[in-house]
Amino acid sequence: MEPEPQTTQTNLHILPQSSYIDSLRFLPPISAFSRHIAVASFNSDTSIPSLTLHSLTTTPTLTPITSFTPSSRITSLKTTQSLIAASTVTGSVHILFPNLINGTFESEVNVPDNVLHSGRVSGLDVLESGGECVSVGEDGRVNVISVGEDGRVDYRKVFDGKGLVSFTAVKWASQMEFVTGGFGNCVQWWDVRRAGGPVSQFKGNWAQGATSGIIHSIDIHPSRKHTCLAGGSYGTVFAWDLRRPQQPIVLSGIDNGETAACISESDVWEVHYDTFMSASDHAKLSSKGVLPAMICSEDGILAVLKQGEEPTELLAENCAINCFDIDPHNPSDVICGLEWESIALLTRA
Amino acid sequence: MPGLLTPSTDTSSSIIPYSSDSTTPTVYTLNHNLKPPTTPRLSISWSRGNSLRVTVFRSPATTDNEPGGKVVELNLSSEDVDSDIEMNDAARWRRIVYGSVSPFAHLQNKKNALAALDEFRRSVSHDGDWSKYVLQYSKEINSLLGSKKSSPTPLIEDPKTVLKVEEPSSLKAAWELLEIFYADKQSQPWIPEQLVDWLSDYDALFSGQVPSVHLKLVEFQAELINIQAVETEPAYWQAISSALAVGWLDIVVKLLRLHGSYQLNQLGTRETENGLVEAVAVLVSKMPRMRTDLPLGKLGECYNNKSDFMRAWEKWRAQITKLDCSAFWLQCSHNQTKENLKNLLQILLGNTSTVSSATCHWVELYIAHFLYIRPFTSGLESMYVLAQKCIQLKPISTPHKLMRLILGILEENTEVVLAECSRSFGPWMIAHATELLTAGSVEAEILLKEERDNLGGISIEESHRLVYAQVLSSHALTWQIAPIYLISCMKHGVGLLEILLYKQPAYHSQVLLKNIEICRMYDLDSVSSTAMKIAGVHHWKHGRKGTGVFWLQQARDEVRLNRIAQKLFDFVGKSISDESFEQWEGLIELLGSESKTVGGLEFLHKYRDFKKSLQQVQDGVFTDAARKAGEALILLMKNPSTPQRFWLPLLYDSLKLLNWRERPLLNVSQTNMLLNKLQELSVARLRPDFVEAGLPQEALSSVRVALATNLGRAILEE
Repeated sequence: MEPEPQTTQTNLHILPQSSYIDSLRFLPPISAFSRHIAVASFNSDTSIPSLTLHSLTTTPTLTPITSFTPSSRITSLKTTQSLIAASTVTGSVHILFPNLINGTFESEVNVPDNVLHSGRVSGLDVLESGGECVSVGEDGRVNVISVGEDGRVDYRKVFDGKGLVSFTAVKWASQMEFVTGGFGNCVQWWDVRRAGGPVSQFKGNWAQGATSGIIHSIDIHPSRKHTCLAGGSYGTVFAWDLRRPQQPIVLSGIDNGETAACISESDVWEVHYDTFMSASDHAKLSSKGVLPAMICSEDGILAVLKQGEEPTELLAENCAINCFDIDPHNPSDVICGLEWESIALLTRA
Repeated sequence: MPGLLTPSTDTSSSIIPYSSDSTTPTVYTLNHNLKPPTTPRLSISWSRGNSLRVTVFRSPATTDNEPGGKVVELNLSSEDVDSDIEMNDAARWRRIVYGSVSPFAHLQNKKNALAALDEFRRSVSHDGDWSKYVLQYSKEINSLLGSKKSSPTPLIEDPKTVLKVEEPSSLKAAWELLEIFYADKQSQPWIPEQLVDWLSDYDALFSGQVPSVHLKLVEFQAELINIQAVETEPAYWQAISSALAVGWLDIVVKLLRLHGSYQLNQLGTRETENGLVEAVAVLVSKMPRMRTDLPLGKLGECYNNKSDFMRAWEKWRAQITKLDCSAFWLQCSHNQTKENLKNLLQILLGNTSTVSSATCHWVELYIAHFLYIRPFTSGLESMYVLAQKCIQLKPISTPHKLMRLILGILEENTEVVLAECSRSFGPWMIAHATELLTAGSVEAEILLKEERDNLGGISIEESHRLVYAQVLSSHALTWQIAPIYLISCMKHGVGLLEILLYKQPAYHSQVLLKNIEICRMYDLDSVSSTAMKIAGVHHWKHGRKGTGVFWLQQARDEVRLNRIAQKLFDFVGKSISDESFEQWEGLIELLGSESKTVGGLEFLHKYRDFKKSLQQVQDGVFTDAARKAGEALILLMKNPSTPQRFWLPLLYDSLKLLNWRERPLLNVSQTNMLLNKLQELSVARLRPDFVEAGLPQEALSSVRVALATNLGRAILEE
């Protein structure tokens, strides 16, 4: 008998915290046994936001090492080999350089409120190679921030939507290109060399009025830079290929007529390509299809979506899963931020 | 001048305890430049949690430093209330709140399912299945309140550690009491033994208020390391007899084995003495217990059948009596050991006065009665009588809250139990405990579920749930849980849920999305569309036009969308610079063409196309583009949906088309049509309701001249 492919053996640990988890990310490992995560949280009793580095042991336990107080609540958090970038609700951007061996922040660069954006910075992404950081906001501005070796920052406005558009998510596609998402399930492709507006645009379903949604998260796989994965309202998850801009591939959600498995009817808060694959997955992988994607949703679901297959549910919690991250060096491990002030650590076998 | 409250001399008159020394109120100043006269205003509102906000607003004083108002935030913490002593850690408390959502929701679902399955049965409380669900619910909640985990036993056990010191929670203790009496129907024959276990877990809680066996043991343990020969210490024997009286047999045996006669060098000289100590220890460890099983490490022999137990009990008692009359006592030279061992035998034989002196408060005495004097007590009535007797023997002036709860339960007085739960353990406890109470008895169910006029037509159960939901609603992290409790309230639940949702700040995008999600779950479309409208208007007002229009469209708010379209018209009619063109072009794009009621939009779309082609004409000398622009102009002017007030601006914008150098772009009939329109406009201008387009004075004349020139050139060409 063929084994059931949809089941995934998982090991789950819930680690209660005492503040609301806004976002979390794995940090590059310093050794095989020592892992760290960056957690953006908000203590609603004291109204103090914080960005804390935790060491994650195999037991598993989370031990806070050092912490930084941003100017306001963190909306987006990204990590690379050398830095942690965070954006806030009041419009500031913080870039921190952690030293994991000493357990400290070596230096920090802050762009204060209302310089880059007026109001909420809704999305932020850093180039894996470091250096360039792109931020988008509800005010419709798109900025690129360059961080020099010496810690100096330089920023320039790529676009100003003057409030006519609002962006909600952003992700680099290459050194020069990035993708943004916004209201009405719109996705825009930008090239920093071409100012004035997006290179290509998918209008989404803005015109459909009440059934239109918001893109909450975008991911782009380094091996397929022409395709972006987007997730948003009403359980919508789709892949948009720059080469076929009018035909997005719907992985989940309400589609016009076509039946795509609907994993959730609530907001999909975060999407990432799932880099954890079994041998059979590798065999099935075609060069044309969309790579497996992991999503987390408002109704407490963490699942893996594969094109043309039933979704695999990894977690079904009683509260929303607001954010998650897959360990890039050990993709069987996933951390999730749960609405009820806790962090879930999931290990797939 | 805002300042501290004057503490009232009569403390009983204050509703919420407020201690002025614990928190200094935060004072914010309000600076404003409003010109006098302004009416001074005072506003009082609840801020987050227990904070009360008092705002004073007035005109700024003439002196420069005086601000125009102040906001004082007072934290009215209720730390004097018992429930908060244990739960001052807010995060730990919220963990219980979060954890209890799922068991509660499950139980409600089960209840609804059972009710739907059997509509004829009016009450579901006597269903076998139902009590199983209630027990499961109770166990789940119980596990949230703290685990009964014994800390991992060390590899080499310290013989001198007789008692593990843990910090039990009185909330858990109270919940377990309710579980024993109301939820666990299967174990009802073993209630006395369950109470023995309960006391061994929670006796420490009484220590703060009254002396207790637990406290005695803790004190003795502290002394133990300094004692050489324990058997000469009265404290040692007191500790053993007290532990025996409340049935902590493992501790008794452990303590007995610390007796000096067990030491190898003493064994030879104190053989008989050691034999007697060991005999008592064996008898204690063989005590028959009327229960199914014992937790690991606890002593006794279990009998789950009454007749077997009775036989074993008689046999055990006979053994004790036999030992008591044994001749070996005469050979025992150690007087203290002899007397105190005899005393232990008296406890085992149920000597009332010995038992009474070994115990500290009435609950301990009560437990001792179950163990040694009246092991067959059953039924709440006889248990209550026994409790009364114990209270008489060991009266307490101000009884502990758990004692009050026990009495209320034994008395079968649901109202007292409710009052105790509410008074000592707060709204969480009572909202969740009602499920256990209603499962306990029909009377309680009737009492709790009966609709009452003095509560505004709702039942006690519903009123407690509403109170708890209110508590949840007051915190930023728990308000989204409140709907689960509100929806289980038949009468006022939905109404209050709507109010709760309306009160959330919809302009905060995360809150708005949460709001919409909750509305989707409970089919509250009108509430969510109101929230979306509020958000739409908020974003629009703050310059985020795109987001504003998005939410208004989501809410299908045609009225406001029309207003926006109307604004666009006004805007378009006035000035058309290139920058503003970009603005309104974006807006036209946002509003879309789908909405039929936005009638004039069709015109705006055409107008945009026309403006676009006109811009292209400006950029270079494309005759084709110019011709197209000319055609677009004619189409627009011919179209009846083009408002009259746009005629002149349109013509004025296209002056350069009319004055095209190469050749006339419009033919004779087209030019005539435009001239006629101009004439019509001149007539219309005489009407009082005509709106001027805000163009330069010479606009009309220059258009007229251009048209006339064009007409002439067109005639020549034809």
